[in-house]
Amino acid sequence: MAGDENQLAQLTLAEASQRVRAGEISPVELVDACLDRIAAVNDKLAAYISVYAEQARAVAKASEMLIRAGHWLGPLHGIPIGLKDNVAVRGLATTAGSKILRDWIPDEDATVTARLRQAGAIFVGKTNMHEFAWGGTSANPHYGSVRNPWDTERFPAGSSGGSGAAVAARTCYGAIGTDTGGSIRLPSAINGIVGIRPTYGRVSNAGIIPLAWSMDTAGPMTRTVEDCAIMFNAIAGPDPKDASSSSAPVVDYTADLGLGVSGLRIGVVPGYFFHHLQKPVHDAVQAALETFEDLGATIVYVNIENIHGNISAQLTIESAEPSTYHQRWLRERPDDYGADVRTLLEIGEMLFATHYLQAQRYRSLLRREFLEAFKSVDVFICPTLPFTATRVGEMKVVIENGIEEDMLSAIMQFTGVPSLTGLPSLAVPCGFDGDGLPVGMQIIGKPFAEATLFKVGAAFQKGTAFHQRAPAL
Amino acid sequence: MSKPATIDAALVRTLANIAALPLAPGREDVIAPTLDAWVRDANALSRKMSALEHWAVTPATVFVHPVQPEEKG
Repeated sequence: MAGDENQLAQLTLAEASQRVRAGEISPVELVDACLDRIAAVNDKLAAYISVYAEQARAVAKASEMLIRAGHWLGPLHGIPIGLKDNVAVRGLATTAGSKILRDWIPDEDATVTARLRQAGAIFVGKTNMHEFAWGGTSANPHYGSVRNPWDTERFPAGSSGGSGAAVAARTCYGAIGTDTGGSIRLPSAINGIVGIRPTYGRVSNAGIIPLAWSMDTAGPMTRTVEDCAIMFNAIAGPDPKDASSSSAPVVDYTADLGLGVSGLRIGVVPGYFFHHLQKPVHDAVQAALETFEDLGATIVYVNIENIHGNISAQLTIESAEPSTYHQRWLRERPDDYGADVRTLLEIGEMLFATHYLQAQRYRSLLRREFLEAFKSVDVFICPTLPFTATRVGEMKVVIENGIEEDMLSAIMQFTGVPSLTGLPSLAVPCGFDGDGLPVGMQIIGKPFAEATLFKVGAAFQKGTAFHQRAPAL
Repeated sequence: MSKPATIDAALVRTLANIAALPLAPGREDVIAPTLDAWVRDANALSRKMSALEHWAVTPATVFVHPVQPEEKG
């Protein structure tokens, strides 16, 4: 039985869903398979802060009865999902990976939670994360450092590191992450999975503990692009509970998955997108571009005059806004923060208003330049980050020439552009380095062009097999 | 060209006082190196954004009020 359940955990979300709908397997079996995997690997990965074994089994039994009675709610019905622990679940602890919120029990679901619940998804647990999402390593002093399933001595990136590790380790069929400066895309790349940062305002942030209001987004993390689009269908759309939510119409994000990329114009920013990278990352993303050319796409080199400056702008905004949100706790409970987050929050109080507003002016400029560039290209493609997984606990990284760099600045080299401009970006696995560690690329699109990103990502996965490789854990 | 930032422990203490942020002993030394690097970069970005060619750029924080059709009584 354990072997059968391990096989079930290897199914993609779409495959599991089809078999549930056909009555070939039950949601109870899927939940048991995921809980078995969690029991087998969570001690090594620290991917979950809470596991809802009892609740998940109860919901699975109810789902099974509904489906047997002919009430199939859709492709997420009966599918086990993980939620990052900054996403509120009514009646269950939501810690945001912090000691400060260890005992906080929300009395209302986040909109994302409610929509997944309505779609029939089953929550198996809350995933570990960088404390309050303010950092890219998921080295959490309160709930344990999350580890990478491809090599447990390596980090899973972050801040949605638990979601990334949980999905890659086949403990759930998809998970929700949040992305302010790269927190969905970075762990997706480092764990060899797919994740989307939506257009700002496309997915509601209501009920999610904020990091930086003007850049916060939430999105799915899965093993395939198709799975990501299925989850996105359930959570995208306007929400009156979120003032930043967009009223732009949603579409069926799975509809274009099979259309291919013939005629697609892929933008590359020369002197930036393939500059300052570890060689395996450079080579993998370069090879991905060649794959797209083989599939009928064209590479167009487009200069973005003011692309330099984006890391500083991101750090300034991503410092000032969290320090505003945390102002009271930082004064009343400074010792309850982990060392790195406490330092970042203190720094954010010492930047000037003019720094913040010049950064916000820079965003307008960068966005304008990208929107202009989108007149000549359909998407941009670049690496998700310039290096593969470092060792757990490292705060420095070597990218080239043996020079050590600060992890936080280095990790944001490519993720800052969508974060600042509000553009959607899909992270897709595109290779491995010599140590077998995953490499990811990001596909950046026009506002609300998530369907195009899924189409491009699906075409790549149809022509490659990187997403089919599984960690040996 | 503005003078490069040189933020030391004493300046961190002053900035914390201005922000009414109590700092535990020793925190200044932890904060100073990173703050110094970030402020240098932020000042460079401010110089870029102060250039004449960008004078009309407004920050991404402005409100946009979509026009709603008036209800007829």
